[in-house]
Amino acid sequence: MHGLLSVSGLKKVYEGSGRRVEAVRDLTFTVDAGELVCLVGPSGCGKTTLLKCMAGLLTPTSGEVLLEGRPVSGPPPGMAVVFQEYGRSLFPWMRVGENVELPLKQKQLSRQRRRALVADALESVGLGDAAGAYPWQLSGGMQQRVAIARALAYEPDVLLMDEPFAAVDAQTRADLEDLVRGLWRDRGITILFVTHDIDEAVYLGERVLILSASPTVVQEQLKVDLPSERDQLHTRVDPRFAELRTRVYEQIQAAKRGVVPGA
Amino acid sequence: MKRLALRLFFVVALPLLLVAAWWFASAGSTDVYWPPLRTILTTFPDVWTGERLRDDVLPSLLRLLAGYTSAAVVGVALGTVIGSYRRVRAVCEPVLEFLRAVPPPVLVPVIMLFAGIGDTMKIAVIASGCVWPILLNTVEGVRAVDSVMSETARSYGITGAARLRHVVLRSASPQIFAGLRQALSIGIILMVISEMSASSNGLGFTIVQFQRTFAIPDMWTGILVLGLLGFLLSVVFQLVERRVLGWYHGLRASSRRS
Repeated sequence: MHGLLSVSGLKKVYEGSGRRVEAVRDLTFTVDAGELVCLVGPSGCGKTTLLKCMAGLLTPTSGEVLLEGRPVSGPPPGMAVVFQEYGRSLFPWMRVGENVELPLKQKQLSRQRRRALVADALESVGLGDAAGAYPWQLSGGMQQRVAIARALAYEPDVLLMDEPFAAVDAQTRADLEDLVRGLWRDRGITILFVTHDIDEAVYLGERVLILSASPTVVQEQLKVDLPSERDQLHTRVDPRFAELRTRVYEQIQAAKRGVVPGA
Repeated sequence: MKRLALRLFFVVALPLLLVAAWWFASAGSTDVYWPPLRTILTTFPDVWTGERLRDDVLPSLLRLLAGYTSAAVVGVALGTVIGSYRRVRAVCEPVLEFLRAVPPPVLVPVIMLFAGIGDTMKIAVIASGCVWPILLNTVEGVRAVDSVMSETARSYGITGAARLRHVVLRSASPQIFAGLRQALSIGIILMVISEMSASSNGLGFTIVQFQRTFAIPDMWTGILVLGLLGFLLSVVFQLVERRVLGWYHGLRASSRRS
């Protein structure tokens, strides 16, 4: 059975200047519609490569990515990406509202529809009154909210997030995690969330995919059987949370040990 | 109010000092080539009448405008193409370096051969000198488009003309403006030089004419007019730049703060 997004036998090898780097070896997994899946792995394990392949920004060496059964060969219209580097992903010459609106112009939506989508998206990330500001006038966390709003307004089938909160401070990060959980619950969108933070993966995800060290394969899949109502205070001290967290941590350690140098 | 007055003071203090120094240093001068500033200033209104502004300053300005604008259009267009494609860049770079190294005034006699001695020649001289800083800066600016921004644009389907307009050119605009600014001063120089040979009107022509007829104070007023013109154009340029690059200055200020 195919999920909404399915990755099969994905392999990516970078070749250049006499060096051959196998970033991703053989990845297969699916994400069903409406799921919130977290991808977690040791740093440098090819998470970003995988994400770029899924987003159609990189062509895999072999294997394929299917979105709704159709192979991804370039950036598909049903996908939106939130990058880690919010400062480099928002256009500093455009105001917040224009940043959110630009992709919609490309979709040739009517002016009225665009306005409604922009206002709704900014409202839902708590920035209803920031449309007229420039991104660099906002704090880091707010800028990432803008990037999320831009993705929401695009109305994607799948939202890919590439370590989106790695560059913000811990408190902002907790707020943003709750924002993502909330958006996922309210809007029923499908989210694939890439992170290197084990706690974040367990806290956010309905399912956690643990990747091995590079060259990357799926080390393990873990269903997160925590209640769907989660909050920073209680979920994180839930004994089950601790168990899951330990389990993911063990797997990642195992993945690191499994590396054969020079392979 | 007090801050505004202080700023105004800073702006005019040094010019006033220099003018005063010139005034007193030249006050008792009997040298024909070095007339007192008082003489130059009293000559000024007699020389730069409405008629002269229309017959000499205006044509000069129009040629400058035509040459500068065409250099800007060609420079940005070519620069965008060269900056966007690595292969094109590899082919063009040596030629560009060579052409850039040729001092534009040298081209005056050459261009005269092809374009005659009319306005076309002068516009061509101005354009051929102005185009290089614009072109080279545009190439650099277009090359330096941030990879994350570029990928963001791609992932949201912003491609082709929209990408060029909303992403590439906007991102390169600080660099493009640096080129335009350099080109402006080159343009003024070339405007004058092109009018010094084979011309019947214009600022450069007028100044050379005064010098040849030993109307030395008049010649000095011409130099003052050129200076003022350069100053005025740079003020206009700054106003435009502040408007177009407002985001850039704000971004820089905010990253300095953090």
